[in-house]
Amino acid sequence: DSHIQYERVGADVTMKCGSMDWDAAVTWTANGTDIDESHLNGSYLILKNVDLSQSGQYSCYEGSSWHLKYQTYLRVGTPPKEPVLMCRSNNYPKGFYCSWHLPTPTYIPNTFNISVIHGTKDMVCEKDAVPKNRCHIRYLQLFSTVKYKVTLTVTNALGKNSTTVTFDEFAIVKPDPPESVVAKPVPNNPRRLEVSWQNPSSWPDPESFPLKFFLRYRPLILDQWQHVELSDGTSHTITDAYAGKEYIIQVAAKDNDIGTWSDWSVAVHATPWTEEPKHLTTEAQITETTSASTSSFMAPPTTKICDKGAVVGSGAMAVCWTAGLVVAAYSVLFI
Amino acid sequence: SPTGDSWGIFTFLCAALCNLPALPALNCSEELGAGQSIQQTYDLTRYLEHQLRTLAGTYLNYLGPPFNEPDFNPPRLARAERVPSATVDLDLWRGLTDNARLAANYRAYSRLLCYLRVLDGQVGTAELRHRLAHFCASLQGLVLSIGGVMSSLGYPLPAGPAGPPAPPGAPAAPNDFLKKMDDFWLLKELQTWLWRSAKDFNRLKKKVPPAVVTLRLEARGF
Repeated sequence: DSHIQYERVGADVTMKCGSMDWDAAVTWTANGTDIDESHLNGSYLILKNVDLSQSGQYSCYEGSSWHLKYQTYLRVGTPPKEPVLMCRSNNYPKGFYCSWHLPTPTYIPNTFNISVIHGTKDMVCEKDAVPKNRCHIRYLQLFSTVKYKVTLTVTNALGKNSTTVTFDEFAIVKPDPPESVVAKPVPNNPRRLEVSWQNPSSWPDPESFPLKFFLRYRPLILDQWQHVELSDGTSHTITDAYAGKEYIIQVAAKDNDIGTWSDWSVAVHATPWTEEPKHLTTEAQITETTSASTSSFMAPPTTKICDKGAVVGSGAMAVCWTAGLVVAAYSVLFI
Repeated sequence: SPTGDSWGIFTFLCAALCNLPALPALNCSEELGAGQSIQQTYDLTRYLEHQLRTLAGTYLNYLGPPFNEPDFNPPRLARAERVPSATVDLDLWRGLTDNARLAANYRAYSRLLCYLRVLDGQVGTAELRHRLAHFCASLQGLVLSIGGVMSSLGYPLPAGPAGPPAPPGAPAAPNDFLKKMDDFWLLKELQTWLWRSAKDFNRLKKKVPPAVVTLRLEARGF
């Protein structure tokens, strides 16, 4: 008869050959391979300081008859470390979800148990099929002053561990990033880019719970982002783009009044509209670029970048200088 | 533009009707401004919420531990139920009429103001007194602003304690610790109400655009 045996990494394991006497003649195999007699103490199998590679099926056969007397499946692992638990409401005011994971694997099966207490009430967190390690709860009441206390307990054959998080209803509100971000050049406008996006589909009621947005953009050649905060609407026109430069653009969302900003959306790239070149000969190209340089490198005064609200303190001066140098360098290149 | 034309017609109607001696109570400028005062009330709740963060921090430090610990999560004692709670069933909250929604806010802040005024009379430090006084003044402004919105929409103001500083039938806390607990819950409820009000006024903003005022004139039989 066979069963499973769980042991800690580094432990010393002694396996008995079922009901056989200590002095019986037996042969042990590990995953079908005979084990050397040096590991035996009588009919007991001794494994010292076990490691993960020693997991497998161990069988014990009586010496002469080769009858299978005992079989076990050895699983080497570790007791669980303190799990990481996070709760978030990306669908306010419907409810929230909690997700968890172990910081290091245990290599053996674990069971997770989650409890949610709201004041004196126990609430049930329904486990999601996909992804695993996640459960969700529906709010029964809104605008609660009482905190939620969520405790996650991890248990396996070698031990258990737990962690607790406590939070207010408002503190965990964090929408998903905006979706379908699109950035397009504006015909006949070399300094503009039109950006539009949609509310995240997981946000159930943008009418009563409107979102505000944060847009950030920069040309690929610069490291410093420019930021715009928008209290309504799902589109914005950038009017100070460097002509001809490819831009990277992202948007984030937040409930108008509570919670925290979403992660940044997927980045989109766009280049402002540029005039079509008219000639293909080299001479004409030089003429074209020198005349174009006076219009497309009428770079915005560097103060524009510095004036954007997000750049503060001594960093602002550094950006002004950097931007000024970059502009000067490009202008020199095209002269 | 189409909106310009309808505004023109409406203003004419308003002027004509306002001049009728039979309608002394109709104040057109108030009704026209309903949408704008909702926005102003909303802005005021956000301002107060911001102010409260500083005030609560200072006050809880004054109360000392455990009240100023971020994880402090005491059970709600029965006596704390006197303070009006913002907590509400989700579907119930959604289904509130504009009148009920505004009235709930009006009643809550009127009572919270009373309680805060009591607090003001008791605190020790000059800094706290100053902050509390400033906050009470702003909160009074909020109550008046909500009242203004209700009047401009033709709703009656809820009766209730508007003046007396001590709420009727309020038993004094039997000991210092329970008194501090009362203060803690008062601040918590105030904070939650301000968060809720932002959502209440968001909903009202969407449901009471200026164009709806013409319906009110019709409802009055004109």
